[in-house]
Amino acid sequence: MSAHVTEPPRRPEHPQVRTRLRPRAGATRLGATARSEWIKLWSVRSAPAALAAAVLVVVVGGFVLGAGYRSGWASLSPGDRRSFDPTFTSLRGVQLAQLFVGSLGVLALTGEYATGLIRTTLAATPQRAQVLAVKALVLGLVVWALCTAASFAAFAIGQSQFTGPVPHASPGGPGVLRAVLGGGIFLTLVVLFGMALGALTRSTPLGLASLFGVLLVLPVAVQLLPGSVGERVDPYLPGEAGSQLWRVVPPSPHSLAPWTGAGLFALYVAVAAGAALVLVRRRDV
Amino acid sequence: MDTHVIEARGLSKRYGATTAVDRLDFRVEPGRVTGFLGPNGAGKSTTMRMILGLDLPTSGSVLVNGRDYQGIVWPLHEIGALLDARAVHPGRTAYRHLHSLAAANGIPRPRVDAVLEQVGLTSVAHRRVGGFSLGMSQRLGIAGALLGDPGILLFDEPVNGLDPDGILWIRTLMRSLAAEGRTVLVSSHLMSEMALTADHLLVIGEGRLLADTSLDELIARGAGDRVEVRAVERARLAAELREVGAEVTLEPDGTLQVTGVGSAAIGELAAARGHVLHQLRDVTSSLEEAYFRLTEGSVVYRAPVPA
Amino acid sequence: MPGTSKRISNGSPPVPGPPVTALRRGRAVLTSEWIKMGSLRSLRATALTGLVFSVLLAFLVCTGFHSRWHSLGPETRAAFRPVDTSLGFLQLTPLLFGALGALVVTGEYGTGQIRGTFAATPQRPLVLAAKAVLLGAVGLALALITVGFAFLVGQGQLAGTAPHASLGSSGAAGALLGGALYLTLTALFGLFLGVVVRSTAVAVSTLFGLFLVLPVLVDNLPKGAAWRHTVPWLPSNLGYSLWHSPAPLLVRATPAGFALAGWVVLLAAGALASLRVRDA
Repeated sequence: MSAHVTEPPRRPEHPQVRTRLRPRAGATRLGATARSEWIKLWSVRSAPAALAAAVLVVVVGGFVLGAGYRSGWASLSPGDRRSFDPTFTSLRGVQLAQLFVGSLGVLALTGEYATGLIRTTLAATPQRAQVLAVKALVLGLVVWALCTAASFAAFAIGQSQFTGPVPHASPGGPGVLRAVLGGGIFLTLVVLFGMALGALTRSTPLGLASLFGVLLVLPVAVQLLPGSVGERVDPYLPGEAGSQLWRVVPPSPHSLAPWTGAGLFALYVAVAAGAALVLVRRRDV
Repeated sequence: MDTHVIEARGLSKRYGATTAVDRLDFRVEPGRVTGFLGPNGAGKSTTMRMILGLDLPTSGSVLVNGRDYQGIVWPLHEIGALLDARAVHPGRTAYRHLHSLAAANGIPRPRVDAVLEQVGLTSVAHRRVGGFSLGMSQRLGIAGALLGDPGILLFDEPVNGLDPDGILWIRTLMRSLAAEGRTVLVSSHLMSEMALTADHLLVIGEGRLLADTSLDELIARGAGDRVEVRAVERARLAAELREVGAEVTLEPDGTLQVTGVGSAAIGELAAARGHVLHQLRDVTSSLEEAYFRLTEGSVVYRAPVPA
Repeated sequence: MPGTSKRISNGSPPVPGPPVTALRRGRAVLTSEWIKMGSLRSLRATALTGLVFSVLLAFLVCTGFHSRWHSLGPETRAAFRPVDTSLGFLQLTPLLFGALGALVVTGEYGTGQIRGTFAATPQRPLVLAAKAVLLGAVGLALALITVGFAFLVGQGQLAGTAPHASLGSSGAAGALLGGALYLTLTALFGLFLGVVVRSTAVAVSTLFGLFLVLPVLVDNLPKGAAWRHTVPWLPSNLGYSLWHSPAPLLVRATPAGFALAGWVVLLAAGALASLRVRDA
């Protein structure tokens, strides 16, 4: 070792380097972040797989539920027949799809924290709030486009099953088009909710537990409460409020109006996202 | 505006009651490899994360090219960093990983192929990085640091877990980057590695700066060069050397350890006074000795900073 | 150490390990797994959450009935079953027990510790068996405490105004044991599921899908022949049969218990096959 130590001292006698590489002409900060997130989204298997699964369960759900009601129509009670909502029934795959879409949203952030990739991401783009917002924009748009298409497909397939005595819906019916579009909007809000909770918890198990705890566990727990207590609280829960957007027949007299419910769900998402945007600037990564 | 310079002023980071980084002042200059040396847990990685705007200082500041990191629009063009080689998504290919980074900073796509070529990963560019060895991951991390052709490069413990070939490769790379006039800051807890790579050293212990000096000066001042002498009349020689201002210790093995007077002067004095010498040897202290002296005493020592 | 140097100087062979018998091997693996399980913070947190969540829900639901009993309609009062009401949390707590089971193994896959585990004990089925035995025992104890405590708290709230039950009431003991069995079996379900999918996220999402979302989707479908032959045999409905008083169209408690155990065995076979075929 000491032989190397006695090498002649190196002094900074070189001129400063002229680095030649410059950002592409016309590159904007926002556009660059979006391109980067777009590449990241499609370059791992999990995201396309979760998106494909979500689309699949929405479409297959339309078929299976449609076929189930057609074959079992005779066994339904008159009350059940009166409250039958052909649009909602064909879209109910959305309930299963929210698991895939929600997990995708949570993992989009917690995955980066778990591997430590978030440090590389934020070193390349130190505008943290922008990274978060653009990530949400990219994933939100992709989910919206795919799930809206899946909603229309499920609606078409479901209605084709409703023949004979089973009532079916047509896109021109009151509230029907809104409900079909609502399937895609609801799942978009779910993915954004998942991302916000993922950014807040920074842990996959905690993020998933909080998302599904709020969306799925809370309604069941509230329904256990006696009589009207549960009925009155239930409509204001995020998942229940949001799902009014893709129903035509409201499930209970206490239910919120479609856009009111969706607005309330969007408000919950906005509060979580706002907290995430504030915290991401303050916390060390 | 300063170019290719990192400057910390009163940089501090506290986690609750523990102080990880304590009022650091330093300036990392271009054209040389600056070693960031300290034992594990001394605060090196925390400092590096603060340079990159990942951890926020409790007080003080650290500026890259005169600006706060979070205010830089295209940071990869100014500073590239290798922090943790394993901090990648295991399911993404090396190419896509770099492509996403390049896109985030408006770096044209051909540059991705160029850096993959430079670090020798072209043949595995389209393999998932989950299957990479630590050495390959380290090369991928370095490719990411070089992507924007930055004037400043940061390497956090780059030789950890590398084989001898890889270590030699990184060492050569860092030296050539500095020779091109870039600023290179490399952290390590391995003094031997620093001795081979660095021109300048920042020594840190328990979050505090212990030395900011050139490698040679640190060795010279940290321990001091000495001369080892064996003489027949050692007591008389010792007394005569002390008369001319040398510090002399008599070791149990019979040698005299002399500091403050060079070997030539000792030889001349011995000849003039009629001594018979059996040995006259310069002993150069190592970086390790210098380092232990620094950290044991926790003496804050600083060479005059050139203006 | 004089003992050591003496042995070396005598040139005697290194100390042999204890003789390997199946019993010793099994005991060693059990001990090792027990230490790992006890030291995992996520497991303790999940178990504690399950207990607190269940007791709290039983308390809230029963307090609600207690305070609103006089305002409830006669049909609601007639349909009121104090045991079922206090155990309503069993529609949700299985998720936590399933997650508990999954975390026993997905945590090890996540950190890569599983390689160390299999390096120490290359007999992978033995490792899985040890995990299952311990999880089954710990899970059953935890389930009995959770169900029993929640039941007592719930009945304590009902006492006074609403009808209430005690441990000796007819059907109460059976419902409690059934509920505890349901929770224990879902914990094992989660464990084997975790071995198959190797990821906390996928395992937890699957549990939510199977135990929470799927029932919501299919339970209210028209009760045709296809429904009667499939839906009552879903894990969530078999579990419901185990603790709830008999419901029309659902399977009775005893066959439901066997059928749910059958699901677990099926998944265990899948887990064993996965352990044999795939690299750790």
